[in-house]
Amino acid sequence: MTQIAQVQGVLDASGERARSLQTIYVYEAPVRLWHWVNALAITALCVTGYFIGSPLPSLPGEASQHFLMGYIRFTHFAAGQTLIVFFLLRLYWAFVGNKFSRQLSYLPVWNKTWLWGIFYEFKWYMFLVKDPKKYIGHNPLAHVAMFSFMLFLLFMMASGMALYSEGLGIDSWQHRLFGFMFTLFPNSQDLHTWHHLGMWAIVVFVIVHVYAAVREDILSRQSMISSMVSGERLFRDDLPD
Amino acid sequence: MGIQTPNGFNLDNSGKRIVVDPVTRIEGHMRVEVNVDKDNVIRNAVSTGTMWRGIEVILKGRDPRDAWAFTERICGVCTGTHALTSVRAVENALDIKIPENANTIRNIMQLTLQVHDHVVHFYHLHALDWVDVVSALSADPKATSALAQSISSWPLSSPGYFKDLQTRLKKFVESGQLGPFKNGYWGHPAYKLPPEANLMAVAHYLEALDFQKDMVKIHTIYGGKNPHPNWLVGGVPCSINVDGVGAVGAINMERLNLVSSIIDRMVEFTEQVYLPDLQAIASFYKDWLYGGGLSSKSVMSYGDIPEHANDYTAASLKMPRGVILNGNLAEVLPIDLADPNQVQEFVTHSWYKYPDETKGLHPWDGVTEPNYVLGPKAKGTKTNIEALDEEAKYSWIKSPRWKGNAVEVGPLARYIIGYAQKKPEFKEPVDKLLTDLGVPVTALFSTLGRTAARALECQWAARQLRYFQDKLMASIKAGDTATANVDKWKPETWPKEVKGVGFTEAPRGALGHWIKIKDGKIDNYQAVVPTTWNGSPRDPKGGIGAFEASLLDTPMADPNQPLEIIRTLHSFDPCLACSTH
Amino acid sequence: MSADLETFYEVIRRQGITRRSFTKFCSLTAASLGLGAGAATEMAQALETKPRVPVIWMHGLECTCCSESFIRSAHPLVKDVILSMISLDYDDTIMAAAGHQAEAILQETREKYKGKYILAVEGNPPLNEGGMFCIDGGRPFVEKLKEMAEDAFAVIAWGACASWGCVQAAKPNPTQATPIDKVIKNKPIIKVPGCPPIAEVMTGVVTYVTTFGKLPELDRQGRPKMFYSQRIHDKCYRRPHFDAGQFVEEWDDEGAKKGHCLYKMGCKGPTTYNACSTVRWNGGVSFPIQSGHGCIGCSEEGFWDKGSFYDRLTGINVFGIEANADKVGATVAGVVAAGVAAHAAVTAVKRIVKKPENVG
Ligand code: HEM
Ligand code: HEM
Ligand code: NFV
Ligand code: SF4
Ligand code: SF4
Ligand code: F3S
Ligand SMILES: [Mg+2]
Repeated sequence: MTQIAQVQGVLDASGERARSLQTIYVYEAPVRLWHWVNALAITALCVTGYFIGSPLPSLPGEASQHFLMGYIRFTHFAAGQTLIVFFLLRLYWAFVGNKFSRQLSYLPVWNKTWLWGIFYEFKWYMFLVKDPKKYIGHNPLAHVAMFSFMLFLLFMMASGMALYSEGLGIDSWQHRLFGFMFTLFPNSQDLHTWHHLGMWAIVVFVIVHVYAAVREDILSRQSMISSMVSGERLFRDDLPD
Repeated sequence: MGIQTPNGFNLDNSGKRIVVDPVTRIEGHMRVEVNVDKDNVIRNAVSTGTMWRGIEVILKGRDPRDAWAFTERICGVCTGTHALTSVRAVENALDIKIPENANTIRNIMQLTLQVHDHVVHFYHLHALDWVDVVSALSADPKATSALAQSISSWPLSSPGYFKDLQTRLKKFVESGQLGPFKNGYWGHPAYKLPPEANLMAVAHYLEALDFQKDMVKIHTIYGGKNPHPNWLVGGVPCSINVDGVGAVGAINMERLNLVSSIIDRMVEFTEQVYLPDLQAIASFYKDWLYGGGLSSKSVMSYGDIPEHANDYTAASLKMPRGVILNGNLAEVLPIDLADPNQVQEFVTHSWYKYPDETKGLHPWDGVTEPNYVLGPKAKGTKTNIEALDEEAKYSWIKSPRWKGNAVEVGPLARYIIGYAQKKPEFKEPVDKLLTDLGVPVTALFSTLGRTAARALECQWAARQLRYFQDKLMASIKAGDTATANVDKWKPETWPKEVKGVGFTEAPRGALGHWIKIKDGKIDNYQAVVPTTWNGSPRDPKGGIGAFEASLLDTPMADPNQPLEIIRTLHSFDPCLACSTH
Repeated sequence: MSADLETFYEVIRRQGITRRSFTKFCSLTAASLGLGAGAATEMAQALETKPRVPVIWMHGLECTCCSESFIRSAHPLVKDVILSMISLDYDDTIMAAAGHQAEAILQETREKYKGKYILAVEGNPPLNEGGMFCIDGGRPFVEKLKEMAEDAFAVIAWGACASWGCVQAAKPNPTQATPIDKVIKNKPIIKVPGCPPIAEVMTGVVTYVTTFGKLPELDRQGRPKMFYSQRIHDKCYRRPHFDAGQFVEEWDDEGAKKGHCLYKMGCKGPTTYNACSTVRWNGGVSFPIQSGHGCIGCSEEGFWDKGSFYDRLTGINVFGIEANADKVGATVAGVVAAGVAAHAAVTAVKRIVKKPENVG
């Protein structure tokens, strides 16, 4: 075992320690609210996005009777705007909230304990170690996943707004703000493709994330799902590491 | 030193070398070098395709259903013919049968191209070889009117009309900004028309320019735009709906009427303007019968315009099909495009690489790999050519041969074959024209003959347009509105490995596309194009192509002014983007 | 420009056109460009005081359909453009002169109209093989292009070829065909993309430049805003069917006959900036979608390399296998889901086999 491996107790960047059945208030209300709104918006975005890409079978009758694609797209745009508004609120909260509210905005790559923790948690998921470590915030591996998710989300919002601005026109403020995406992707067909691929990246994240949340809730030494509901993290044992 | 080519021409490159580069009023980039003897008669000719894009290379690995769009961009002048050839090749490979209406509409598209391309060629690319614009300034408008009215009932022919035009022309010339007419060969002794004929021709140059944009509206209706209308494997993309809900957005009565009225105007224009002009011009040039080249020896036509959908046999094709070799008009040989020994391409003198360059390759096994090298006798450098070495590689055009023979393709070839087959539609108008002009049938084998055949064909095509549009109406009346067959649209329904060939008669001649499809993707794609045949460099045995052959033995009035050279080359309507692709 | 040259107005008057119809022409042109009433006067003034602008039209690797499109212009008629509005001093496709008589015009224009002529480029230069995939006068086209650009007032890039590279630049681009803005760096370039561009768009751009003596406002990609600021989809008359969810599901089906939306047939209207659904083609007769085929995106950069024209989603090459975003994404998501399931199974088995002692 390395020097770091002998470090006792918690292994997050701050090195705090928690005792059994101790609860710590981790996720403040705005964070929880954001989390669940986000989850709903993204679910809606994935479903509607999918049907924008591959529309449902045609409807009979006259065009003036229906607005199916219109509603699907409207839902997508509404969910998309919601996502963005809550993202901005969440961003604000990262400045004024507790330190856990800032966790997914950076990676403490300079911190060896944290780096080692990624490795350790990976081994835990690979059944190579008996027990996980205890964390007040995200475990380091989850931290990396959350951080990358946020990057994807940024891309989805920027590309989504750029696509949206095509409909609003190139003199809209949306195009002025997000038109730079068309410098990166001069043919907007490419941007559609990457936005669409982004959906699948997010689907992958959600599958893994929900599974991990449920599993950790059952197997790990701390509460998970209830933490995202009440905000409080409950630790279930008092063992040193 | 003189040499005799296997296809019966004498070449002598000892005289003065003259270079024309760029050859203008053609499509694409071309260079020609000739040697003239002390009497300024052309004794050697070297024609070079000077561009290559690699579209055959680019097609590999792509979806065969998309190939029409790529190949269509081989050329925007004969726009659509490559696309049609391509969808036919794919349908042949996959055994897809198209609906009768789709065949009819495709014929209408193809015939529209024939009429449009021939008119634009004659007036805007070729006319200035026969017509002296500056001489038109000294015409008498009254005499011009009399001339015009004596040959045609075309209404735009009053003295006032010609006078007005002449005044405008005068002011234009006096402005000092001659635009496209700048540095032309005005006053050259090879111009033979009287001023009145020149003025009449200039008037029709402008009228044709106005009208050609209307002709192509037929493409716009059935294909959405022109140039480069849209096509579809399995049929045509436009649906017919004459009296149902939503008919207003499909091929409906208004659309059909628009097509019909344009066809009427096309028939009128070809009969009252193009043909009389051709005849008038020809009557002043019937002593200038140079430029026959290969046409009196070997010509070829694949045939086109199938009467019946999916039947591409000679019996169904309304344009003649066959090959004539060595001037033997008594025998029209049959063509099999799948036979590995018939159509082959050589690259001995082309800027490409084959494993064995003494042999030709059938297009299914064709290879397109560039190899730009100059021969030891070339003058200048690799990027500044002064003179080419025709004994080595010297062109981006490959050398296609039919059973080893160079052949000429195009309207003249089609008419010679139709004539030899004694098809009245082709023979009678030729005989009439020859009688009217008072020239023997051998006069056909000339620059002028080529230009005349194109005019006759234009009229034929306009009349066929009427026929097929009526056929479409009859079919709709009988209740058939199908335009596409989607049974084999999805690549999942295709065999693992297939090959096919599609052909058309493009305005400039016989066009074939050969395709190999493997796992739903293009494995090999080869196009052998009219101007590839006509503009080909020499073959391994030294046989020369139609362009080179046609220039031989032509006297030049002034080697510094290549009017005779471009006149004969233009009679083929060269398309260099097509030829090299 | 030297003073002895005639103005556009003088030429047009000499050709028997009245003052009145000249003014009318100006206001019609101004209107068709979507410009205000004041612009017509400004245009008339410009035309009255300037000689015809010399235009040098060069051809690189191309199919010449941009020229073909140009001559289809109905308003203004192309004969009027050539005879009265510009002086098309060089265009190898239609000019009378050939060989060195043609070449001489290039030199003469450079000297006589230094900084005053418009260079219009159709097609593009190949850079491989020293540029000799396109030879002009025995030399690489790219060299002549650069020389002529040197003294031009502005450059027009006609069509997808000059603007983006077009078909010859599609993968693997064997000749290294290159859009002209990659070789002409020191001149303003107006891109007029399309394969080909619409005739009236082409003449609209030319007349805008010659009459106002300035370049039109360009968008981020260098295209005139007046014709390229909106997508086909934004102005498509089939759009109500798109919004309603009514599509052509198969060629020539009921939907096709009724004019439903071509989205499922791969229509690229939603990602294509062009004037087809408004100006339309060949005097407003139709445009691709109206005649039943989807837009193939012919005015967009690299439209040849985005997968089949009949697929809604761009093709992506993953490890040499062609697929689309849904195939790639669903496959990855499927693999991950299977991984998760397997992981859950192993977890469960481990839990049953050995009850962990230190979990509370
Ligand atoms: C679209 C769906 C979802 C997305 C995009 C998403 C995203 C996120 C993100 C970004 C965080 C980090 C929050 C922070 O640190 O501020 C998070 C945490 C969390 N999420 Fe989700 N989530 C989704 C659905 C769910 C669902 C359905 C559950 C429960 C079954 C869940 C349970 C949790 C838990 C327990 C945490 C806290 C993890 C921890 O304490 O380390 N999430 N989620
Ligand atoms: C997790 C976030 C998101 C997901 C999973 C998602 C998913 C999708 C998908 C799959 C498509 C279809 C793409 C295609 O095939 O062409 C799409 C289109 C689109 N999305 Fe999103 N999207 C997200 C966020 C956003 C946001 C934040 C916006 C901004 C308002 C947005 C705006 C759009 C627009 C404008 C389109 C194009 C609609 C159309 O072409 O009719 N998306 N999205
Ligand atoms: N040669 C040739 Fe074409 C024709 N006609 C096509 O196949 O012109 Ni561009
Ligand atoms: S842009 Fe398209 S239409 Fe124009 S020359 Fe290029 S290939 Fe032809
Ligand atoms: S046909 Fe094409 S451009 Fe028109 S609405 Fe449908 S997707 Fe949009
Ligand atoms: S294919 Fe081109 S012609 Fe217009 S409708 Fe699309 S941009
Ligand atoms: Mg070929």
